[in-house]
Amino acid sequence: MDEHRLLGEPADQSRAEDQGRSEDQGRSALPVDRPGWAACAIVAVGFALCLWAYRRGGGSVSWPWAPTLDLRLSFSLDGLGALYALLATGIGVLVFAYGTQYLSLHLAHENRPARERWRFWPWMALFAGAMVGVATAQDLVLLFVFFDLTAVCSYFLIGFDRSETLTRRAALMALLVTVVSAVALLIAAVLLYVRYGTFEIPQLIDRAQSGTTTTVAGALLAVAALAKSAQIPLHFWLPKAMAAPTPVSAYLHSAAMVAAGVLVLGRVHPLLARSDAVLTGLQVVGLASIVVGGLLALGQDVLKQVLAYSTISQYGYVVVLYGIGGTTAAGAAAFYVLAHGVAKSALFMTAGAVTMATGEDRLSRLGGLAPRRPLLAISAGLAAANLAGLPLTVGFFKDELFFEAMHGAGPWMTGLAVVAAGLTLGYIGRFWILLFLGRCRTEPRPTPALLTAPVVVLGVISVVLGLVPGPFSRLAEDAGTVTAAAPVTVLPGYHATASAPNLMALGAWTLGALVLLLPGALGRVSTLVARAGDRLGPLRLYTRTLRGLFGISGALHDREVRNLRTSVAAVLVPAGVLTGWAFVVTPTVGALSVGTVRGIDWLVLPLLGLVTVATVVAAVSRARLGMVLALSVVGFALSGIYALVGAPDIALVSVLVETTITLVFLAALAGLPRDAPPTGRFLPGPEAAPHRQGRQVLAGGIAGLAAFTGVWGFLSAPTRAESIATEFIRLTPGAHGRDVVTVIITDFRGLDTLAEITVLLIAGVGVATLLRKGKLW
Amino acid sequence: MLREVARLVWGPSLVVAADLIVKGYNEVGDGFAAGVVVVLATALTYVALGASGAERALPFLRHAPKLAVGGLLLALVAGFFPLLLGEPPFSHRPGPGAHVATVGSLELFTPVLFDVGVFLLVVGVLTVMLHHLADPDSEAGTPLDEPHDAGERA
Amino acid sequence: MILAFALAVAVLFGSGAYLLLQRDLLRVVGGIALISQAAAVTLIAASLTRGQAPIAPDPSRPVSDPVPQALVLTALVIGLATLALLLALVHRVVVVFRTTRREALTAEETERAHALEPEQQRDRDEAT
Repeated sequence: MDEHRLLGEPADQSRAEDQGRSEDQGRSALPVDRPGWAACAIVAVGFALCLWAYRRGGGSVSWPWAPTLDLRLSFSLDGLGALYALLATGIGVLVFAYGTQYLSLHLAHENRPARERWRFWPWMALFAGAMVGVATAQDLVLLFVFFDLTAVCSYFLIGFDRSETLTRRAALMALLVTVVSAVALLIAAVLLYVRYGTFEIPQLIDRAQSGTTTTVAGALLAVAALAKSAQIPLHFWLPKAMAAPTPVSAYLHSAAMVAAGVLVLGRVHPLLARSDAVLTGLQVVGLASIVVGGLLALGQDVLKQVLAYSTISQYGYVVVLYGIGGTTAAGAAAFYVLAHGVAKSALFMTAGAVTMATGEDRLSRLGGLAPRRPLLAISAGLAAANLAGLPLTVGFFKDELFFEAMHGAGPWMTGLAVVAAGLTLGYIGRFWILLFLGRCRTEPRPTPALLTAPVVVLGVISVVLGLVPGPFSRLAEDAGTVTAAAPVTVLPGYHATASAPNLMALGAWTLGALVLLLPGALGRVSTLVARAGDRLGPLRLYTRTLRGLFGISGALHDREVRNLRTSVAAVLVPAGVLTGWAFVVTPTVGALSVGTVRGIDWLVLPLLGLVTVATVVAAVSRARLGMVLALSVVGFALSGIYALVGAPDIALVSVLVETTITLVFLAALAGLPRDAPPTGRFLPGPEAAPHRQGRQVLAGGIAGLAAFTGVWGFLSAPTRAESIATEFIRLTPGAHGRDVVTVIITDFRGLDTLAEITVLLIAGVGVATLLRKGKLW
Repeated sequence: MLREVARLVWGPSLVVAADLIVKGYNEVGDGFAAGVVVVLATALTYVALGASGAERALPFLRHAPKLAVGGLLLALVAGFFPLLLGEPPFSHRPGPGAHVATVGSLELFTPVLFDVGVFLLVVGVLTVMLHHLADPDSEAGTPLDEPHDAGERA
Repeated sequence: MILAFALAVAVLFGSGAYLLLQRDLLRVVGGIALISQAAAVTLIAASLTRGQAPIAPDPSRPVSDPVPQALVLTALVIGLATLALLLALVHRVVVVFRTTRREALTAEETERAHALEPEQQRDRDEAT
């Protein structure tokens, strides 16, 4: 990470002061991050819009996209959509504001030009939009599209520091894991469509019944969602993704992208609930994530890694709640996501601010920042308290609801819930204590206020909502209602009774305090688990699979591409033989017609003869130039034929294209470097003469014969069905045109043309890549 | 004399291309043909003046990549904007049978925009290709007994 | 007429195939160009009707089938782009391997594969 570069200088006092002074001077000279503020403004407008729409009771919109395929663009800001959209845009405003300062400092430290900001902010803004899309999409295919859009944006954002190999690798890993598992979502959508005839989620929820299809589809949906939310065993990409700049981690990996996974779970939960196997699976995966994530978080040294494993663990809570099912759990899960998003992004931004101020990103080299950064310490403390579930923060309510739901699921769950919460308090307490208390190992430099302000805002939110949880609980109720397909009430409150949640909370705090007081034992367990994971875990499997794929690709390449002629002949000759065989076997009496020669055809025949002659000349010409000129004769003669058979548009384009092809061929001939002289290993001979070998003539002959029989048979049996041409000719005047061909290209079959011109663009990029390494001009 | 012809021909080629697009709907012609006409005129300029000379004479050729992408975007917009109005893609405005404003024989409706997009893209892509093929790596034409590390750079 | 078209297509395709098997890479590209033309001719020959051009057609006389024409139009332009791409490929091959003869390419490539090992390893390390 870039901060390591600053570690090259010894962290002694005078040097730090010098740096601080030049930092101040540098900071005043940092340009205003216009794209960043623009993105922040866009997201703020989005937040306001979502809030306004939510207050008015939500709404939905639905456009037909491809009605014959039952695809619609349907979005609906229901409770669940509103919760995630508001979360994504609200946290987005704060993180983007933070990011404007952070990014400028980050780029300045690495001596990168300020215009790199344009590589960052558009993706962030697009990501925020894609999150709103995921939240509000009501159609499974549409959900898939936005799902993958978030994955693509995250690839570019994680890989922002693209000069570092680790960053590139992490970005690729995140992309591969989330995109490949998203295919499971698409497969599930297709399965459900085949069975129930619709892609729309509300209709599917109505129609689906328990059965194999629902179970399999539910399992696939769960796999896609769990990979996105970094749950065991597809969690390994998230700690690696911490190579991203902090604003990306604060946004994507705390409140947005990983939230998309549990959003999908919440959205299709009624479907999942019809299958006990899927729900049990969710519980298992969630519990495993909680435990493994929590344990690993205890032993981490790098700031952001603690928070990454914490995210895995916290989303495990939500997944377990979804696995339990029912109205209580649904409301609890929604509330949890909200409270966690607030806390985690605040903590990520704290980590970023600390790293920017001190140049260190490890807990072992930091400490004692509280007296020097009191505001940051307090706000971070509030956020940590939120995460740990301490009273007077909204986190207390999130844990209360969690305990209530887990208690309702039996004694085992109750115990595990206490252990989980204890672990959370343990690792986040360790994080805060090691960072802000104790001996100060590295002096912090002054940093802009904007790096601290968002943390303060989030800390204040945590406390205010800890006293007045109304807004969050209303959102959670609406979201839970959508998830559970039944009315949900969420009533967080301070009860001074010995209720089960209170007792469990007390137990958790005791456990957490124990963990804090005895760091050594659990730290060793954590390291053991981490090492076991490295050796036997999914990351190893991923690496091995990728290497295996590379090996297969290399082997195929060696086998196939080595000998071009054999490959070509291997296609042409068997195809020709098979066609000949088909010709021999099928009855051909009466099947082939010679065709009649009408008026203008008498002119076409000589032109066809010219084409034939020119082709043979092109094939046997000794000089390359002769081949090129003969090719152009073939092309022009064909243009003449097209004009004569009533295809003037084609004739025009053919003439123009033929001219261009000839020019391009000649340019290529002229521009080629001269070949090396023959090395003597092969038969010496003039370079330009075509190599005439009997085998090649035979192969050409077989191919030609096959083409002849195939085309003759095909042309002799025109279909008797009604051609769409009459339809097109009839509709053309209504389309305000007279030339049917142009109308077909630009109107009736416009989608085909669009795809074809994209191919043109790709060919252009290909030429640029080959000849100038990708620079387009 | 070739140079003069090349210089003189380029402007009119644009007019011919415009004509092909304009009357494409009523008679022979469409965006593809128009694009290739302009590219042929550019190619003639390249042949007559040499690669660097052509690019000095027609400096706006630099914008060809942007032209290509712009053309694609224009075609996309022209094709998909009906979605915003609740109609399937590629419905044109004004609708079938409705009155269409005309400027001479050019009818002003959305497929013309699509055609223009196709034209821009064809011009852009083929100009880029011409540029690369006409002025490839600087080692073009040098005899190859001079050492050069071909694979390492370009 | 049908026979005439079929013969023309056969000659085009056969010559194209013959050129595809040639030693010289530029002739291979020429072969591909011929095969593209063969495809275009087949499509046009497959028109279900033939008559006047489909531009404000007079309903009393037969009209040429516009559908294959639309297909061939874009096919021709894409054929142009493909040929340009192939020629760029040939140019790169010549620059890197200094020959357009196919056997020499094979030998050179074997020699170079060994030299390219560290680069391939770097590419693999990129992802894992």
